[in-house]
Amino acid sequence: MSTSTLKYSAETSDELLKEVMDRSGQNLMSCYQCRRCAAGCPVGDESGVTPDRLVRMVLLGEKDDALNNLLIWRCVACYTCGTRCPNNIQTAKINETLKQMAKEAHIEPHIPRVASFHSSFVKSVSHLGRSNELEFMALYEIENFKKGGLKAVKEDIKSTSKLGRSMLRKKRMHFKLERTKGKSEMKRLFMKAAQKRGAKG
Amino acid sequence: MKIAYYPGCSLHASSKLYDIQTKSVLNKIGIELSEIEDWNCCGATSASKTDDFLAIALAARNLGIADATGLSEMMIPCSSCYSRTLVSQKALAGDPALKSEINAELSKKVEGKIKISNILEVLLAGKNEITEKAVKKLAGLKPVCYYGCLLTRFPSDMPVSDSVENPLSMEGLLKAVGAEPLDWGYKTDCCGASASVNDADMALKLMAKILKDALARGANCFVTTCPMCQLNLDAYQDEVREKYGISKSLPVYFITELIGISMGMDPLEMQVDRHFTEALGLLKELKLL
Repeated sequence: MSTSTLKYSAETSDELLKEVMDRSGQNLMSCYQCRRCAAGCPVGDESGVTPDRLVRMVLLGEKDDALNNLLIWRCVACYTCGTRCPNNIQTAKINETLKQMAKEAHIEPHIPRVASFHSSFVKSVSHLGRSNELEFMALYEIENFKKGGLKAVKEDIKSTSKLGRSMLRKKRMHFKLERTKGKSEMKRLFMKAAQKRGAKG
Repeated sequence: MKIAYYPGCSLHASSKLYDIQTKSVLNKIGIELSEIEDWNCCGATSASKTDDFLAIALAARNLGIADATGLSEMMIPCSSCYSRTLVSQKALAGDPALKSEINAELSKKVEGKIKISNILEVLLAGKNEITEKAVKKLAGLKPVCYYGCLLTRFPSDMPVSDSVENPLSMEGLLKAVGAEPLDWGYKTDCCGASASVNDADMALKLMAKILKDALARGANCFVTTCPMCQLNLDAYQDEVREKYGISKSLPVYFITELIGISMGMDPLEMQVDRHFTEALGLLKELKLL
C-alpha cells in the first residue's frame, strides 16, 4: 500500500462511503476508531492495514487505497472484528464488498491465488452442485496458470501434490464426483446471481 | 427421535469418517439422522467472498428441502455449512422480497421454520444418555477444545448457544466421559483453513500459534467439531512443526470419535486410522484401544 497524502473531498468521499455502506450493509459512520477490531484481527499485523484503518480509508474517500490493499485479500473471514466491535460494524463484510468493487474496477488482487481459490470453488459448485476436492483443485491450478503462467503453478503444485498424496494414503481422497440432481434449479440460481452482478457493472 | 441432517460436501468426501462417526454416535443415543435429499453445497466462505446473492441462495435451496421434510430440527456438523445456512435463514426471514425472489426459483420453498442446530447442541441435549452409556472413561486424555471461528462468530447478529469468547460446551461433554480438558487461549482463534492453499505462510503462522499454546498448556490432543479445522490442523501439522521448530505433534480428534470410544464403539469402525497426524498411538497408550 502506498502512503498517500490525504485528498479529502466531501463529494467523492460521500460517494464511496455511500456505496460501501449500501453494499455491505454496515454503518461505517458509527466507527469511533477504538481499534478493538485491530487488536483481534489475526492477519492485520501481516497485512500492513488493520480493519480500523480500512474503515477510515472509506470514510475519507481514499478509494485507491481502500480497493488496493493486502487486508481485503488476506482477511480469513473469522468475524472477530465484527463480533468485538462495540458499534456492530462487521469489517469482514466491508472486505467482501471492497473485493467485489476491486474486481469490478479491474484492480489486480494483491494475492491472486486467493481470488483464484474462491472463484474456482464457486465455479466447481456451479458445475456439480457440490464441491469436490479434485475438480476444485484442477480449476484452481488452471486459474493460477492463466494469471501467473507455469511458474505460479509449479510453486503451488509442490505443496498441493504433497497434500494430495497424504490424502490418498489416508483414504481421504474421493474420486466419485457427487452431483446435485436439481440441475436446472441450481442453474437458475447461478443465472440470477450473474444477472445481479451484471446490474452492478 | 428423528432429525434432519445436512452433511455438506466435506462429510461426503475428505471427512467421510466424520459422517460415519456422527451417524453412529447419535444413533447410539437414540437419534436417527435423516439426510435431506439432493442437497447442494452451501457455498462456504468462497460464495460469501465473491457473490452476495449466491451466499444466501445456495443455502436457501437446502433450507427449502429441509422445511419440506416436516421435521422440526436439522443438524449440520460442519461449522462453515452451519454458519452459512443459519445466516441464510436469518437473512431471508428479515428480507421478504429476497425470500420470494429466491423461492420463485425453487421447487421446495423456504418457509423458515426448521431449527438449525450444530453438533454440539445435539450432543449436549443427549448428554445424559452419553454419560449413561460411557463405559470407558477417557482417563488421561487432556484435550484442548478447539471451536474455531464459525461456531460462535457470525457475519450478522445471531443468538449463540454458547459463550462467544469462551465457549465451554465441548469441555462439558468431554468431562462427562472422563477426559480432562484444559483451559487455553486459542479455542476460538482462526486456524486459517481457507488460506492454507492460497496464502500458505499466513495459515502456517496461525496454526503455529495454536499448536504452541496447546503444547504449553500440557495438552495431549486437540478436539474439534469442524471438518475444515480438523483437516487443516491435522494435514498441515508436520509442515507447521518443521517451519516453526516444534518437536511434538498432537492428534486432532473429532469430538464424535472420542465420545464414540467412551461408549465402547470400535475406533477402526469409526476410521480413526484416517488421520494425518498419528491418532491411534495416544489411544493405545491410554489403554482406550
